[in-house]
Amino acid sequence: MSVIVKQSKFDQEQSRLIGKQLVAKEQQSLKLHIFKVAVVWAVLFAFLGLLLYLLQIDLPYIVEHRNFVLAGLWTTLSVSLISILAATILAFLGALGRLSTNAIAQGISGFYISLLRGTPLLVQIYIIYSGLPQIGTQISSLGYPTLGKLLILSPIQSGILALSLNYGAYMTEIFRSGIQAISQGQGEAARALGMTHWQTMRLVILPQAFRIVIPPIGNQFIAMQKDSALVSLMGVWEITYRANRFARKDSKFMEMFLLAAAVYWVLTLISEWLQGRLENYMAQNNKR
Amino acid sequence: MTKRYHLLILLLLAALLLAACPASSTPATPAASTEGATAAPATEVVSATTASAATKDLWADITARGVLRISTDPAYPPQSELVEGAQKPAGSKCTGDEHVAAEFKGFDIDAAVEIAKRLGVEPCFVTPDWTLITGGKWSGRWDISVGSMSITPERMKALYFSQPYYTTPAAFFVYKDNQSFTKIEELSGKKIGVCSGCTYESYLNGSLEIPGETIKVVVTDADVHGYDTDTSALQDLALGDGVRLDAVLTALPTGQGFIKSGKPLKQLGDPVYFEYLSAAFDRASSLDSASFRSKVNEAIQAMHSDGTLKKLSEQYYGTDLASAAATFDFANLKQ
Repeated sequence: MSVIVKQSKFDQEQSRLIGKQLVAKEQQSLKLHIFKVAVVWAVLFAFLGLLLYLLQIDLPYIVEHRNFVLAGLWTTLSVSLISILAATILAFLGALGRLSTNAIAQGISGFYISLLRGTPLLVQIYIIYSGLPQIGTQISSLGYPTLGKLLILSPIQSGILALSLNYGAYMTEIFRSGIQAISQGQGEAARALGMTHWQTMRLVILPQAFRIVIPPIGNQFIAMQKDSALVSLMGVWEITYRANRFARKDSKFMEMFLLAAAVYWVLTLISEWLQGRLENYMAQNNKR
Repeated sequence: MTKRYHLLILLLLAALLLAACPASSTPATPAASTEGATAAPATEVVSATTASAATKDLWADITARGVLRISTDPAYPPQSELVEGAQKPAGSKCTGDEHVAAEFKGFDIDAAVEIAKRLGVEPCFVTPDWTLITGGKWSGRWDISVGSMSITPERMKALYFSQPYYTTPAAFFVYKDNQSFTKIEELSGKKIGVCSGCTYESYLNGSLEIPGETIKVVVTDADVHGYDTDTSALQDLALGDGVRLDAVLTALPTGQGFIKSGKPLKQLGDPVYFEYLSAAFDRASSLDSASFRSKVNEAIQAMHSDGTLKKLSEQYYGTDLASAAATFDFANLKQ
């Protein structure tokens, strides 16, 4: 008996050593891997730089006029932020409707998703900006001028409404899959404890589902920052509009568009970084 | 029996759906309410139009608010372009969505500012896409377009025009080194770039009509390439002879301005037609625009007769493009 204990103690020591070595080796190969990836990025950056050099970009021009384009940063960011918030609320309601047993709720959310995902965002923007006011005029002529005027949205309002409705439809599916990812057993257990359907959702399913849907929502936000460029069509002075219209002054299209592209890229990098931090934070909560 | 039962269910469902219609608008409300809270200047615009509904007359509305809302697309130097670092003056009545004259420069801007000055109101500018301006149905978002818009029968269906404030010749441009084209007729069947929805496109399609002018079509069967603006087409032509385009049909000053900025293009032949360029008003306006339109016409006529427009034209285009517009027979426009 004692012999066995002794032996196992020796084994423990031995295996701990081997384990440490293995971990060190793993860490080293991980470091090497990160280094390799960094080298690939550096090479790609150099290649991009070469392309820019071949484009014969007028760099001083970009530096001189950067502030005009950067002034649109706030508009782009606020349009995206408000839209993603509204879209999140819409998506949450949409997902509840889609998973509901109520025929009306299911019908409405199903129709909403189908219509908004089935038509291009650009067309939706046109319809909301130009089409809604025409409905408004009709309503006004029917004797409800206050209601009619409400449908005449400003360019920014139209843009935010279109982005929210469109992204809300896509994000409904994200929420739905997030809710459905929670195993059915949990819902059954909650019901067995005597919770109502809404209590089960609120206390058991949704807190876990939110954790699942946050990374894809971040992804949608990143996509939206770029899609917000479509509101430039209605004359909102965000990054793309400013770059595009300013470029025409001196025919410096590449300069201004590259500047806009760089601004969007930096925005995306910051968003990605924030998303990574949020995901880490969520993962921590998930550790047992 | 079961058939009748199904019908009943269907009817019930339809009724429920109809009843749920107000509910279906609820998804929009969170978005709308957040906008209301954040985009305060935007809501001011809406409330301004709401207040004006009682007056019914556009001119009364404009004088009441003391602001003339003008649409311009600053994509067309030297007519309208952006100015860097401009600040909104302290006393400006322009809302957050609108821009002051100092943020732009160009012939159209100067003409618009002069019109507003003669009307005794402050000019404020909005910048919707050109297609949104030419299509009419502005929903009261702006009062007038001072954007070098040519008078065409198509546009007259959606818009009212003013006495033209100047004219512009339309000309073909080709790549600088091109030797194969010597006459405009040789462009038949070639790749020609134009701005979509512009008169240049109609000209190439053979459907252009200009009130008060006979159009002679010399280029036929062209491979027409539509662009968002003329400058994009010129940009593509500047890539090389025949790379994307063989020629561009555009306004003479636009093409010349492009060449002046160092792009390798040249003009081909004489101008093919002249356009009369006017201020425009929305036909679908819920307010009566008749008195406003005659006020603007008076202002433009006065600017012709005292030489203001001629001087502006010489300043921006180096030549008098205005005088020909002063003699335009406005009564003959029949709008």
